[in-house]
Amino acid sequence: MLNLLGEQLLNGIVTGSVYAIVAVGMTMTFGVLRVINFAHGEYFMVGTFASWFVIEKIDLGYPQSVVFAVALTALLAIVVGYFLMRKMVGAPFENGVLATLGVSLILQNLAVALFGGSYKFFNGGYIEPVELFGYGLAQQRILIVIVCVLVFIGLDLMVTYSRMGKSMRAVSQNIECCEIVGIDVQSVVLWTFVIGASLAGLSGVLTAPVNVSVYGGMGELITFKTLPIIIMGGLGNVRGTFIAAMILGIAESFVAGFIGLQFRDSVGFVTLSLMLMWRPHGLFSLQSRF
Amino acid sequence: MTLSGMFKGFPLKAAALCALALTGGFISQAQAQDGDIRLGIVSPNTGSNARYGSFALRGAQLAVEEINSAGGINGKKIKIFSGDSQCTPVEGVSATQRLIQEDKVGFIIGDICSSVTLAMQPIVENAKVLLVNAASSNPAITYKAGVGGFKWTYRNYPTDEVRSLVVLDYATKQKNFTKFAVLSVDSDYGRGAINFTKKYLERFKSEIISEDYYKDGEVDFRSVLAKIKNSGAQAIIMYGLADTTPIIARQMVETGLAGKIPLIGNGEFNAPATIKAAPTALNGAIEAAAWLPGWDTPRSKEFVKKFEAAYKGETPNNHAYSHWETVHLIAATMKAANSTDGEKVRDAMAKIKFDSAVGPITFDDHNQALVPMILLEIEGGAPSIKGAFVGSIDYPKN
Repeated sequence: MLNLLGEQLLNGIVTGSVYAIVAVGMTMTFGVLRVINFAHGEYFMVGTFASWFVIEKIDLGYPQSVVFAVALTALLAIVVGYFLMRKMVGAPFENGVLATLGVSLILQNLAVALFGGSYKFFNGGYIEPVELFGYGLAQQRILIVIVCVLVFIGLDLMVTYSRMGKSMRAVSQNIECCEIVGIDVQSVVLWTFVIGASLAGLSGVLTAPVNVSVYGGMGELITFKTLPIIIMGGLGNVRGTFIAAMILGIAESFVAGFIGLQFRDSVGFVTLSLMLMWRPHGLFSLQSRF
Repeated sequence: MTLSGMFKGFPLKAAALCALALTGGFISQAQAQDGDIRLGIVSPNTGSNARYGSFALRGAQLAVEEINSAGGINGKKIKIFSGDSQCTPVEGVSATQRLIQEDKVGFIIGDICSSVTLAMQPIVENAKVLLVNAASSNPAITYKAGVGGFKWTYRNYPTDEVRSLVVLDYATKQKNFTKFAVLSVDSDYGRGAINFTKKYLERFKSEIISEDYYKDGEVDFRSVLAKIKNSGAQAIIMYGLADTTPIIARQMVETGLAGKIPLIGNGEFNAPATIKAAPTALNGAIEAAAWLPGWDTPRSKEFVKKFEAAYKGETPNNHAYSHWETVHLIAATMKAANSTDGEKVRDAMAKIKFDSAVGPITFDDHNQALVPMILLEIEGGAPSIKGAFVGSIDYPKN
C-alpha cells in the first residue's frame, strides 16, 4: 500500500510539473495584462504541432525540434501580442475574454484546417523507461520535472533581480506610475506575454513524447485545467502557481488511482468551486503577487 | 430606423435579395442532378475517432464509385453527402439535421459512435429517412428498432453483447483468466460493453476487480495503471478509442505492465500502427472485431485489394469494410425493391438475403443483421484469427 501511495505521489509530481510550466505563463499574463488568456492552451498545442511537424516532415532530431517549436510559438506570441494583447491593457475584462477566446478558436481550427482532424502520433523524445525509487518512469518525465524546477528558479530570479522582472512587477502594481517613472509599459506587456506563451509551447513539446497524441483540440483541456491552478495559486503569483499546480497534480493522481479515472477531471473544477467560495484571492497572501 | 428609413431604396434591396435567393437556388441545383440518389454519411471526421471516420467515408466512397461506374441503380447515380459528428451526440444530431433538411438525403449511413447513433434514431424516424448503421455496437440501438420501436433504423454490424460474450469466453476458457481490471472509454460504447461483460461474469466464474473509465482526450494513465499493477488483475478489459490505445500501451511499457497483463476487448489492437507503438504491450492482446483485412474469402480479399489500389496502398480497417458493404447492401435492396423510394427500400430490407464478404446477411425482427464477430489474438506482432462467432440475442421484453 505504501508502495502504491509513493507511486501515485510520484505520478502527481510529474503531472504537476507539466501543469506548473503551463500555468506560470498564464498567471504572469494575468499579473501584467490583467487578462485571462483563454487561448493559452493553444500555444501549448502550437508548440506540440511545430515539433511534430519538423520531426515528421523535415526529419529533425528531438532536441532541435524543441528549439524550433519554442521559437515558432514565441513568434506567434509576438504577432498576437503586438496586434492584440497590448490593446487589452486597461480595457474592460470582457474584451480580453472575447479576444482570447477568438484567438483560441482560430488557432484550433487552423491546426485542423492545415493538418486534418485526426490524431497524429508523436515520434520522438526519450520514452525509454528507467527505474526511479523502484518505479518505472519514462526518461522524458524526469526531464519534465527538471525543466520545471529550472524554469521556476529562473523566473523567480528574473522577477526579483532583473530589470525586466522589476518592470513586470511594477506594471502589475500600477500602470500610471510606471508611465510616470519611464517604464515602457507596452514593451513589458509584450514580453511578458511572449515569455508566458513560449513556456506553454515548451511544456507542449516536452510532454508530447509521453502524451503521444497530437491534435488541434488538445489545448482546450489544458486551458481549463490551468484556470483552477492560477486561481488557487493567486492570479499573478508565480510561486503560488507552482505549489497550486503540484497540489492539483497530486490530487488528480490520488483521485484517479484510488477513486476512479473517470473522476480525474472533476478534481480541477471541484477545487475551482471551493476556491471561489472559500478563498477567491487564492491560497496565498494577496500581497505576495509576483 | 424609422419606417420611411426602412423603405428607402426598397427596389434596390428587393432586387438584391431576389438575386441572392436565385443564385442560392442555382448553386444547390448545380451540385446534384435531379434523380440522383442522395446518400448521407455521418461519421466522426475530426476528433479522437477521426481515423475511423476517414476509413468509413473512404469505404463508402469506393462502393459508390463501383456502383456508379457500373451504371448506377436503375440508371440513377448515388451522390454522397458527408456530415461530421465529431463522435458527440450534439454534433451528430446537428449534422443529421443538416443532411436531411438542406441536402435532402433520403438515406443515411451513420454513425460510428454508438452515442451518436442513439441520438440520431428519433430524428430519422420523424423525417422518415432510412438509417442503416454500419459501425455502432451498442445493443440498445436495435433493442429499440424494428418491433422495438424505430422502424427506420437498420444495423449491419454485430453488437457488443456478442462481442463481450466472445471475448470473455476466450479469455476464461483458453487463457484461464479469472480476475479482470476494467479500463474502458467513458461512453455508451465503453460502458455498455462492460455492462454486458458483467452479465456473463458469473457464467465464466470470473470477477472484475477494478473499474475505470477514461474520457476522450485523456493522456495520463499512469495512476490507473499503477493501481491495476497492484490489484492482482490478470488482464485489462478495454473497450476503447483507437487513438488512445497507443498511449495506454506506451504507458504500460513505462509502468512495467507490458507483457505481464494483456489487453482484451476492442480498441483497434490489430492495427499495425498500434502494434508498432508498443509491441511488448500489445503481444497477447485479444480482440473481437467485426472484420479484419486478413479475413479469407474471395470477396473480402478483393475489397482489400481495391481499397489499397484506390487509397495509396493503405490497408482498410473494419469500418472501411462495413461502410463499403453497407452501401452495396442498400444498392442490392433498391434493386430487389425495384425502387429508390425510402419506404419501399425499408420494407425490402427486412426480407433481403445479401451475400456479403463475411457470409449471407439477413435481418431479424429488430432490424439487426446476423453477422459474425471475429476473435483474434496478437501473436508475434500480427493478429491471428482464432474463430468467428454468430450470436443470437435474447431481446428484453418491452
